[in-house]
Amino acid sequence: MARPGGRSKALWPTLALPGVAWLFVLFLIPLYVVLAIAFGTLDPIFRSPVPVWNPLQWNFSQAQYVLTHIVGANGFYGPPILRTAEFVVIASALCLLIAYPVAYYVARYGGKRRGLLLVLLIAPFWISYMMRMLAWVNLLQTDGWVNKALSLGGLFPVDINWLNGRPLTVLFGLVYGYVPYMILPLYAGLDRIQPSLLEAARDLGASKWQTFRRVTLPMSKPAIIAGLLIVSLPMVGDYFTNDLLSGSPNTAMFGNLINNAISSPETTAQGATFVILMFVVLLAPMLYYVRSTRAEEGT
Amino acid sequence: MTEEPPVSRRSGLSRRSFLQRGAAAAVALPGLTALLDACSSASSSGSTSSALQIATPATPVKWPIYSGNAPIASGLEPEMNATLNLYNYVDYIDPNALKSFEKKYAKYNVKVSVTTYESTDEALAKIRSGTIPLDIELGLSYDQIGKMVQGRLIQPLNHSYIPNHANVWDAFTNPFYDVGWQYTVPYTVYTTGIAWRDDKVSTNIPALPNPYSVLWDTQYARQVSVLDDARTCMGMVLLKNGLDINTHSTKDLALVLQQLKALNAATQPKVNVTDYQDVPTGVVSVCQAWSGDAINMISYMPTGQSPKVLRYWFPPDGKGEVDNDLMVILKSSKAPVMAHLFVNHMLDYNVALKNFGAIGYQPPQTRLNVADLVSSGFIPANLSTAIVQPEWFNVGYRILELPPAVDAEWQAVWQEFKAGAH
Amino acid sequence: MTSTQVAAPAVAAPADHARAPRRSLMGWWRDPWRKPRLLEAFTWGYLLWSLAPVAIAVLFSFNAGKSRVSWQGFSFRWYWGDPNLSVWHDPSLHTALRYTLFLGVIVTAVTVPLGVAFALGLDRWRGRLPSFWNFQMLLSFVVPEIVLGIAVFFLVTNVGPLRNTIGTTSQVLGLVTFQLSYPVIIVRARLLTIGKEYEEAAQDLGASPLGALRRVLLPLLYPAIFASTVLVFADVIDDFVIVRYLSSTAATEPVAVKIYNTARGAPTPALNALATCLLAASLLAVTVGYLAYRFVSRGEGEKAGIDSFASQI
Repeated sequence: MARPGGRSKALWPTLALPGVAWLFVLFLIPLYVVLAIAFGTLDPIFRSPVPVWNPLQWNFSQAQYVLTHIVGANGFYGPPILRTAEFVVIASALCLLIAYPVAYYVARYGGKRRGLLLVLLIAPFWISYMMRMLAWVNLLQTDGWVNKALSLGGLFPVDINWLNGRPLTVLFGLVYGYVPYMILPLYAGLDRIQPSLLEAARDLGASKWQTFRRVTLPMSKPAIIAGLLIVSLPMVGDYFTNDLLSGSPNTAMFGNLINNAISSPETTAQGATFVILMFVVLLAPMLYYVRSTRAEEGT
Repeated sequence: MTEEPPVSRRSGLSRRSFLQRGAAAAVALPGLTALLDACSSASSSGSTSSALQIATPATPVKWPIYSGNAPIASGLEPEMNATLNLYNYVDYIDPNALKSFEKKYAKYNVKVSVTTYESTDEALAKIRSGTIPLDIELGLSYDQIGKMVQGRLIQPLNHSYIPNHANVWDAFTNPFYDVGWQYTVPYTVYTTGIAWRDDKVSTNIPALPNPYSVLWDTQYARQVSVLDDARTCMGMVLLKNGLDINTHSTKDLALVLQQLKALNAATQPKVNVTDYQDVPTGVVSVCQAWSGDAINMISYMPTGQSPKVLRYWFPPDGKGEVDNDLMVILKSSKAPVMAHLFVNHMLDYNVALKNFGAIGYQPPQTRLNVADLVSSGFIPANLSTAIVQPEWFNVGYRILELPPAVDAEWQAVWQEFKAGAH
Repeated sequence: MTSTQVAAPAVAAPADHARAPRRSLMGWWRDPWRKPRLLEAFTWGYLLWSLAPVAIAVLFSFNAGKSRVSWQGFSFRWYWGDPNLSVWHDPSLHTALRYTLFLGVIVTAVTVPLGVAFALGLDRWRGRLPSFWNFQMLLSFVVPEIVLGIAVFFLVTNVGPLRNTIGTTSQVLGLVTFQLSYPVIIVRARLLTIGKEYEEAAQDLGASPLGALRRVLLPLLYPAIFASTVLVFADVIDDFVIVRYLSSTAATEPVAVKIYNTARGAPTPALNALATCLLAASLLAVTVGYLAYRFVSRGEGEKAGIDSFASQI
């Protein structure tokens, strides 16, 4: 078996090189720029950030300001961050509760309709997120269909304004927006469970619930975790759902803190600190996801 | 499909590989630093003098003309095939004004397009941060003029292209913020007050001892909005307490913060600039509003509902926030002659009057007789308080520029309010 | 699945609903072979909840009046009828639509080849260095978009030569970075199942490594490549965070940003019409991609179904 030996070894690094260069310049370096701005100085007139590239000259006053205003007596940045955690946990749990039965049904009982069901489930991926939110903005208006339905066509006066800053509306929007992202990983994971295993459990005397609890659920655990991560990580950085469905500082999320800070030149450096903070806070789940993916790949 | 491989303990970062990579990064870092330093040199954040000159009515300022920023020469031909990029608030210019300009100068094949911003802070950040091809900014006020001039962001005007400036009120020939109108022309004049729908608000707001306090009234919880502008909104809180709206005092700012937090707790207001749509459509019942917004609300009333329910309050003695917006030409403009001609076009009486009708904001045109506005039916009687009287400019309070350190304190309060603190 | 259903009749009578005597509710509940009516209802209920609002929004784009909630008759006013506000006549709307599709095509055209090459390189190249870059690539997949968007925004606005690229160029740069991981992950997953035998056989028959790659491996990868093309395109035309931070003038604002800017006020159904146009465009793209996928996988029999398409993602 003659192999061209050394010459083939250069092919693969060469193929990977453009990707490597791209990631270096447009992923790693920008992250460093964020550090340079967060720990940089401010222009005296505009108070806009001036990046400081040399780590030895970094100035931590802006970062300190942000960190000391998260908890404690002055801690006004704390509540939005806490609120984001609450929203994300609740919304992710709700997404799971909705997505799991649907994925289970399609995977196990889809049968002939499986193709159609999958098309309908994948549909939200190519419907713009903004359009889906716009659809609900229309429905949730004071004279919109939701209020019309609740008032049963005019029988009861329903005067609820859903869009005036309710956490419930934002939560609803998050669940609606992100639940499609959870269905596919769950479907893929549940699909992989061989029906013969379930039959075997049944043959051994397990009831339906016992089979579910002791065979299906544990075997779908990696898919559940993957789905939760895929849904919760982007949700942490979401700010536009709150802007569209609420617009009130009372439902401000972590992403809104960052977006507001970046919008004004004087607070851009603080925004950079928030970005670093978000990255650090999410590092553990991100690393966990990366590690489990690499384990699957065997790298 | 075979079973999945067991999770490898060796995947992920081991301590040795972490240290190795750390060492490699430490070696690469100085090189990277030097490279970035070289790349980000002169053009980026070169700020000029370290002291910001502040203009006040008591201390008017005549801005210098900097050497690298001279006005364009007179008598030049307008540029061909130019696209003028306007930077403006949403719905703050009449689309027909743009079309009539394009028609007037059709032989130069000019096109006008509008890019929008949400707040003047955001606009300043965008103009300063990149070479976005913008030509004219409208809707900014003179509380940023010093920064824009000293930061070389706007260019001085050549008056020979703008003869229509003779149409505006005398007060704008030598305004305190730009003596000799070297950099700015006025766009609109307006006041800041409270707007509401009479059928949704039972309180008699003008009769209250302190009408501003209606925004804190819990019976209107979640039906309230305030303007997304730090100086305007915080200025209102200062006025509510009888304090100076350009205060430098930390104690005053602490009081403002306390009352803004109370506002969040009491009525959870929205913070935006879409009040001119929100009030007519019933999304909010009472809000802080600019006078032009109140007039603009008329065209957003849903069909079947009368605009007679709209109301606006401003202190009858004129002692409230009174301001005017400016038009400036950005230094980075690629078609400065055309930009001058556009500014001139907007100062034309007929164009300005039509613009008034479209956006609701009053132009400071001398031919416009404010006394006739109601009787001629241009403005309905229920919104007569939204008309800006010229004499208010003598007694009203103007929002002035702040020194950077004080501005930072104001911004800190504003960020805390916008983060939902209560 | 079929084996289960075949086995069922062999079990006692309760499986045969039609002829059995009326059973109690508990009997029905406990029957392990009953049809999953609850789950089925739940699934269709979910699909209704998920898709009906969008259908309503599409419906109201054909509304004859200005309202987005009360139906006033059918008309194409907001598509081309209204001389000022319709998608056809309002330059800000149709520019946004054209720009979105343009951005989608350009970014996909850059991302997919780059990603496929990257995937091949990472998969076959052994060592610590590719392992590190694989890690970085996966990290770029899970990082929230706002972090990446702001990081690229800072890069572009603070490093001298790049400042003029704000607008289309930097949007493309940012989007490619954000999307790069999709083709890489999809192609690598496919590579895992393909294995090395085909290439080795080709090389044994005298092909060079590059030739084996081109004529054996790549055709085997076409399904994954098409799946990732469709996915990247659909994701790019929907993108909001990155394109908003890196936009310059209104001409570089895609539909998502337009909807965001306008929806918070009192928009007309023209916005619904714009969103529907984009929906139609992406539907077309996905259909074309799927048909191409089927065409390319036609040799693989059963595997060329929608579920294998879905499982690539």
